[in-house]
Amino acid sequence: MSIDTQADDETADARIAEGNAAHDQERHHDGGEGHGGGGDGGGHHESPEVVDGRQRMAIWLFIGGDMVILAGLLFTYLYLRGTNTEGHWMNMVGYTGHPWSYYYNVLFVKGGSLPNPTTVSVNPVSAGFYWFVTLVTVVSAGIIWFGEKRLRASRDAKSFVPIASLATVVALVALVLTIVQLRQIPEIFVTQNDSAYMAYTSYSSAILVLEGSALIHMVVLAFLGLGLSIRASRGVISGDKWYQVRLVRLFWVWVAISSVIVAAVVTTVNTIH
Amino acid sequence: MTTTLEHTAVAEESQGGGLARYQNAGTAVAGGVLFAFLFWLIARKTMDPTGEAFNDQVTTILGCGWIIGFWFGIGAFNGPMRWLLGRDHSRADDLYYAGHNQGRARYWKYTTDHKVVGVQYIIVTMGLLGVGGLLAMAIRTELIMPGNHFVNQQVYNAFISLHGMIMILALIVAIAGPWANFVMPIMIGARDMAFPRLNALSLWTLVSAASLLVAVAAVGGLTMGWVVLAPITDQNGVGMDLFALTIVVFAVSSTVGGVNVVCTILTMRTKGMTLERVPIFVWGAITTSALALYAFPFFFLVEVLQLLDRNVATSFFVSGGGGTGWLQANLFWLMGHPEVYVILTPAVAACFEIAAVMARKPVFSYRTAVAAMVGLSGLSILVWAHHMFTSGWAPTLGGPFMVTTEIISIPTGLFFLVLIGTLWRGHIWMKLPTIWMFGFIANFIIGGITGIYLSDIPIDNQLHGTMFVTAHFHYIFVGSVLFGAVAALAFWFPKVTGRFLDEFLGRISFWLVFIGVQVTFLAMFASGLKGMPRRVSSYSVIFDHTNLITTIGAYIIMSGMLVLLGAIIKSWGHGEPSGPNPWHANSLEWMVPTPPPLENFDVMPVITEDPYNFREEMVRS
Amino acid sequence: MTDSDNDKTSLKSFFWLWGILTIVGVVLGLYGPSHLMPKSMSPNMHLTILTMVIFTVAAAPVAAGVYAATIYVLRNWTHKGDEPPPPAKPVRENGIIVATWVSISVLLTLFLLIWGLGALAEDNASASSNPLIVNVIAQQWVWTFQYPGTHVESNSLYLPEGREVEFHVSSDDVTHGFWIVQMGVQVDANPGVITTIHTTPNVLGTFDVRCEQFCGLNHAFMDALGDVVTPQQFSTWLAAQPQRT
Repeated sequence: MSIDTQADDETADARIAEGNAAHDQERHHDGGEGHGGGGDGGGHHESPEVVDGRQRMAIWLFIGGDMVILAGLLFTYLYLRGTNTEGHWMNMVGYTGHPWSYYYNVLFVKGGSLPNPTTVSVNPVSAGFYWFVTLVTVVSAGIIWFGEKRLRASRDAKSFVPIASLATVVALVALVLTIVQLRQIPEIFVTQNDSAYMAYTSYSSAILVLEGSALIHMVVLAFLGLGLSIRASRGVISGDKWYQVRLVRLFWVWVAISSVIVAAVVTTVNTIH
Repeated sequence: MTTTLEHTAVAEESQGGGLARYQNAGTAVAGGVLFAFLFWLIARKTMDPTGEAFNDQVTTILGCGWIIGFWFGIGAFNGPMRWLLGRDHSRADDLYYAGHNQGRARYWKYTTDHKVVGVQYIIVTMGLLGVGGLLAMAIRTELIMPGNHFVNQQVYNAFISLHGMIMILALIVAIAGPWANFVMPIMIGARDMAFPRLNALSLWTLVSAASLLVAVAAVGGLTMGWVVLAPITDQNGVGMDLFALTIVVFAVSSTVGGVNVVCTILTMRTKGMTLERVPIFVWGAITTSALALYAFPFFFLVEVLQLLDRNVATSFFVSGGGGTGWLQANLFWLMGHPEVYVILTPAVAACFEIAAVMARKPVFSYRTAVAAMVGLSGLSILVWAHHMFTSGWAPTLGGPFMVTTEIISIPTGLFFLVLIGTLWRGHIWMKLPTIWMFGFIANFIIGGITGIYLSDIPIDNQLHGTMFVTAHFHYIFVGSVLFGAVAALAFWFPKVTGRFLDEFLGRISFWLVFIGVQVTFLAMFASGLKGMPRRVSSYSVIFDHTNLITTIGAYIIMSGMLVLLGAIIKSWGHGEPSGPNPWHANSLEWMVPTPPPLENFDVMPVITEDPYNFREEMVRS
Repeated sequence: MTDSDNDKTSLKSFFWLWGILTIVGVVLGLYGPSHLMPKSMSPNMHLTILTMVIFTVAAAPVAAGVYAATIYVLRNWTHKGDEPPPPAKPVRENGIIVATWVSISVLLTLFLLIWGLGALAEDNASASSNPLIVNVIAQQWVWTFQYPGTHVESNSLYLPEGREVEFHVSSDDVTHGFWIVQMGVQVDANPGVITTIHTTPNVLGTFDVRCEQFCGLNHAFMDALGDVVTPQQFSTWLAAQPQRT
């Protein structure tokens, strides 16, 4: 594709005043209109402030998308609870217990068949445990925030390493607790079309997806925390690159806030009446 | 300080890239197949084969394997891993990722250069439009006369579902994909997008999702219509799982793309490029991206819940455990209506741009144009329940949603004011983009007004679920968005290829498609008014004439699109050379050489006025 | 400046074009919907067709204005050839035109809303305190109609003329769409929920029930026949039906 690429448009050139080296010096100070100018896509010679501002905006936008998902999840929870279709919000036609116990006790030991299914109700998840997981998440966010403040003041990456590692460990604890919590969601043994499986009522389903979302966020936090630890120990985020910690902290705090919101909703608004 | 990548030392280029040197589309496919196979093996071993959801679970896990393997193969995980280990990209790495000195091979790689991504989007869009178009022709062929002749109901239902979904995906990316990537960064005076690697991620996640959508056909298809509202989805085979995964991945792709476009426009503008001076297309790009950021999380969520219902026996949308299909309908349309404006706004903005340049006149009332696009996007999040007027859900909300929906006609009307105001007393250069832009105006008024009928509940109680609705949104999607997309293609084609899109073939194509659209969809309006339901594989004899006419029209559209395809292929390699600024426009994308160099600008421009002051002396003899 | 900058007098042809196209639109509006749509057998359908006509007539000048302007622009101000035409006189803003345009669209939208909300209220208004109740049960791909109070169950829908009917619609499997084509009423049939609509058949004769919500394999064939009969015929028919056990 060897097309004539000669820029032969004089007036256009007149319109676009020549940039100069001074321009690059200026652009960090021109604040107001035309802010953030002189974007250099390649990136290696941009000032940290410019990169920081741009990445912070992206983090906020991703958090915005995450907020929409959280809003959708809470809408799902409250809508299912509000409609309580056919009265099945917290119950389902099936059996208590697990299919294994039925196979073992009913079919294997006694050689019989399954009894008629009955309406089985589930209990709300433990509010205390929910708040405990939330507390651990909030503590991890607090640690990373504390670490950011110190790093911002000292610009000393080495002293940040243990703080980031601690936050990561606390996040991992929250992750494990979330898995424990997920295991506690009540399931109901149902049979249909010659197959037997564990099913969730709409209450359990909504809890499942809220906690599943929390789990994924914990995985991301653990990844980010681990990254901060490694990067700090390698000296990548020292000095004027401290802002990378703030980017992570913004997301981390949002995850903590969202877990408080979720805990508040599901532990206060759980049964029908 | 201000040198571009092109001028950096040659010594650097042999070092950068790392793992990416061995990654391309081939390794992506290989990785996808390998992981899909491994995940399939694991799923067969770990899932309960007596469980009701066994097939769904195996398919879902297999699909996840394809996605993850594809991302590994293409190099999407390189960046996060290097971040984790604290081994950030060097300049040489960035150069390698930008596709420096890699020739055509860079189009098959995880290339970060926004112009490469733009071209990749053009190809992906054309591929999707081609598949969706063939399905459309299959549908119209089946409907040529009453009764089932060529395919049975099952196959027909699979056709309409895949046609719908593929075309929706194609149109979402048709204008924003190529042009918000290729020209938008140059328009605002940036050297690339704000996050070049996210840009590549958005493209390749789209490719991984689209290939999964094609795989849906291989596993028994999707036969439930593209909106796939429960509980009927329960009856669909494992194709539904892959479909839901496709959407989940697509939502990730468009969210990543949307964040990138918004950040680019807000933070990467060159000195003096205020938001009042950006070309109007940039406003279309930012409103559509921001709206996508709001809308697609819902799409993501609704399909995740769908997957859970099918795979782990949750009860979100099925009534046995307290779920309700209305939850899905609400979540789906919370996404579904904004999505219409995600599709439409870039087409409108491209037409504004073309109208101004070709009429040699500024955009009439730039502020009105911006206000209309922003207002439309804002209103569009308040109207979702008009898709549910006849569902029986919350009849008391019908009135309020009717009010919000009809208010949308005010910003929509402003689009016409701006377009006609721009063209009025202009000196309109009748070239290919101009012609397609006029086609947009003519079709959009019909699509718009028929939408007002459907927003009125007493009328919707009759016309909902009929071919009238189908004809209405095809006037928007084909008549308006596709015309806008072709206008944009014809307009910016010379910047991509350095050649004009063939004027003669382009005009033949225009007339075929334009006439075809009128024949096809006016007759379809008549079918709908007479009472023909949508999504039917057969119909009563009273609808035979209008359906025959519609099918004939569809073939006319197809012939026109084939001519257009021929024009694109011919012009891409052998078209008439255009030079860097064929339309004598002022915006920055025309000021850089063609094809634009890596990082676009040698010297960063400083902007003193908007690009619509056309001057006499600009015209060269 | 150049010959293509027409003066105001020539706008006459624009207004002629606008007028003619408006008349075409109005004529289409007056004859199109009532000619194409199924014959009306209920007040709801009558209202629907009337609203179609009114909206089309109201929209005719708007669409005609856009088309007339586009055609006028194409006739007067286009340039051919490979060289770009000279710049046109820039008009960046015209507050009066924008304000006028916005006011007119607000007024038109207000009119549509007032008419639409009025029609909606009329559509929903219940004419009678003693409607005939019909249970509509959808399943893939059959309609079943039950008449509570009797044990009659039928696959065709018999309705008496002149009496309000309230349909209680539900589904045994997936979502279907209950639609009486000639009466302009639709509502979805959902599993686990009962939705209601009502209408008053006011013309004797046969009508069609169709499914308007995609419901799987044989969606296209999910029709039922209906008949509006006199109240006497209706009682006779009801008595003659086999009783459901």
